[in-house]
Amino acid sequence: MFLSFFYLLRNQGIDVSVTEWLTLMEALDKGLCHGSFTEFYYLCRMTLVNRESDFDKFDLAFSEYFQGIRHTEEIPPEILKWLDKGEMDTTDLNREMYRFEQHRDSNTVKRMFRERVTEQNSEHNGGNYWIGTSGGSAFGHSGRNPGGIRIGGVPGMHTAFSVMGERKYQSFRNDRALSMRQFQVAFRRLRQYSARLDVERTELDIDKTVDSTCKQGGYLKLEFDRPRKNTVKLLLLFDCGGTMYPFMELCNQLFQAVHKANHFKDVQTYYFHNCIYQKVYKTPECEYGDWVDLEYLFRNYDKDYKVIIVGDAQMAPEELLDINGNYRGPNGGRSGYEWCQMLENKYKKVVWLNPRYHGRLTGLSWMESEHRLSELFHMYLLSVDGLKEAISYLMAPR
Amino acid sequence: MSDLGTFTGTSHYIAAPELMQAVNVAMELEKPLLIKGEPGTGKTMLADAIHEATGMRLLVWNIKSTTKAQDGLYVYDTIQRLYDSQFGEEGVDDIAHYIKLGKLGEAFQSEEPVILLIDEIDKADLEFPNDLLWELDKMEFYIHETKETIKAVKRPVVIITSNAEKELPDAFLRRCIFHYIDFPDREQMAEIVNAHFEHLDEHLLKQAMDTFYWLRELKDIRKKPSTSELIDWLRALQLGGIEPERIRKEMPLLGVLLKKDEDMDVVKQRRLD
Repeated sequence: MFLSFFYLLRNQGIDVSVTEWLTLMEALDKGLCHGSFTEFYYLCRMTLVNRESDFDKFDLAFSEYFQGIRHTEEIPPEILKWLDKGEMDTTDLNREMYRFEQHRDSNTVKRMFRERVTEQNSEHNGGNYWIGTSGGSAFGHSGRNPGGIRIGGVPGMHTAFSVMGERKYQSFRNDRALSMRQFQVAFRRLRQYSARLDVERTELDIDKTVDSTCKQGGYLKLEFDRPRKNTVKLLLLFDCGGTMYPFMELCNQLFQAVHKANHFKDVQTYYFHNCIYQKVYKTPECEYGDWVDLEYLFRNYDKDYKVIIVGDAQMAPEELLDINGNYRGPNGGRSGYEWCQMLENKYKKVVWLNPRYHGRLTGLSWMESEHRLSELFHMYLLSVDGLKEAISYLMAPR
Repeated sequence: MSDLGTFTGTSHYIAAPELMQAVNVAMELEKPLLIKGEPGTGKTMLADAIHEATGMRLLVWNIKSTTKAQDGLYVYDTIQRLYDSQFGEEGVDDIAHYIKLGKLGEAFQSEEPVILLIDEIDKADLEFPNDLLWELDKMEFYIHETKETIKAVKRPVVIITSNAEKELPDAFLRRCIFHYIDFPDREQMAEIVNAHFEHLDEHLLKQAMDTFYWLRELKDIRKKPSTSELIDWLRALQLGGIEPERIRKEMPLLGVLLKKDEDMDVVKQRRLD
């Protein structure tokens, strides 16, 4: 049953499964769209799509399919029967049509609308105007009566097309190569347990309980121990330079994943612009003056902090190597590279996650900075796999 | 299930038509309804409203970061049993005595169909939703200690809310009917607000709404004020007898709307501009 819509959705990158498709079929079978096209749209969406970030893709696919772009789908009579509930209310239709057109093209719409209305009235009964240009019915080419689809059947409802026309879910859309969930799962590996001293004893200690109970001659005594806690402490340094803009979403997900993992003992986040110098910024905006000394970090966060630097290492060689390379703040008499070296010396484990990492490729002059930094730090591509590798390095004993 | 009638919102709860449709579809298909949306869009209140509209009993399972799936099914109070056994308390030989059903278990056991609200599922551990797949699918679970299967007498209507704090696992998402509650536009908002107040000065409402939506539009605001905060604010303005004319200019009692110092500073600055 209009199976190709299923495949269209999948092609558009919406991960619809057979289960969800069957759910939709079941819903249609039960007549849950009540013969309304709008309800049909929402029904499809609520059963097939399960995250708001996919709404936009869905809207596009839906309008492509159901506006009758020349597809050659078999539309089984059952579906039309479900949708075929009485006469189409043309006043409603015209209004909705107007609304939809308005969204698409606000300039010529009034004139077009008038034309369409006249046209619509005459052609509508013939049953092949409303949806699409192909001369087919609402469901494509097959030439059946679009009266089968009642639009705006329930008063006050937006029709599917007018809702779609708004494309209001566009901002939710994120073509995530990586989902935050994957990052989070990766971060779960970043733990090291120990029984800490300052928490309440809430976990039953079986061995001790057996011991104490025996010592008391079988008179039960329960012994509790402190729950194990993750002792991993993280220091995050994010590059917020201009070349990082394309990766903002990616970095944001990484950032979110760290903060939502909430199993770390401590997470500290600072920002830098292009390269790490004497100061690091407290906010991603990297505003002049809103910073702390890198040495403050050294003093306050001990060497056991695991450091994750996120940046594309795309600074010009002089920005990295010249002692006046920092044009936005103080250099402190050292080049960026030297500051980086100090960081590397201070902390036991430092990784650099690079969204543009070129790997072993060397010798290209514009990559000199990346090359130098990747010699200094353990550098990994910012991807799920890269993160996993980085974390296994961070967790390795030596 | 259709004998329960169709959900059309209540006098206190204004639901968009597509939300009502989602509720009805979920009830009809007997699938959990997953509701996402910004804080304050009335996700949790939805369950209340369905309870009110249908008269079904409402069970709320509040999820916290430490909640485990097992907590919702049943808990075997071994410690109590151990201690009881020391003193030969009555009933100690009956394990069932120490099995305490969780919210899900309670919902399954109910003779009447109930609404089960699993509130803020994203607060729990990442794997939490996956641990409930079988139970929500089959509407049953097995108690190992008593070799007993608890099966839903009447399938409960399951409403799950999420603030989108964490991504939910795909396998779980596939089993749900999904609805995202949009932030209400001015028209809907006026309707919602009016459902909460008996007499609200229209002028006051308009001024307050102007300010409210202006604040939400500000880019630098970290925590946007939500519906419930607007309602609180309106109530505060009303109680304080504040002249509507003052609202836009002075933004009195702003602390009700904005909870972060940084946001307050942003507003102060913008107002100076």
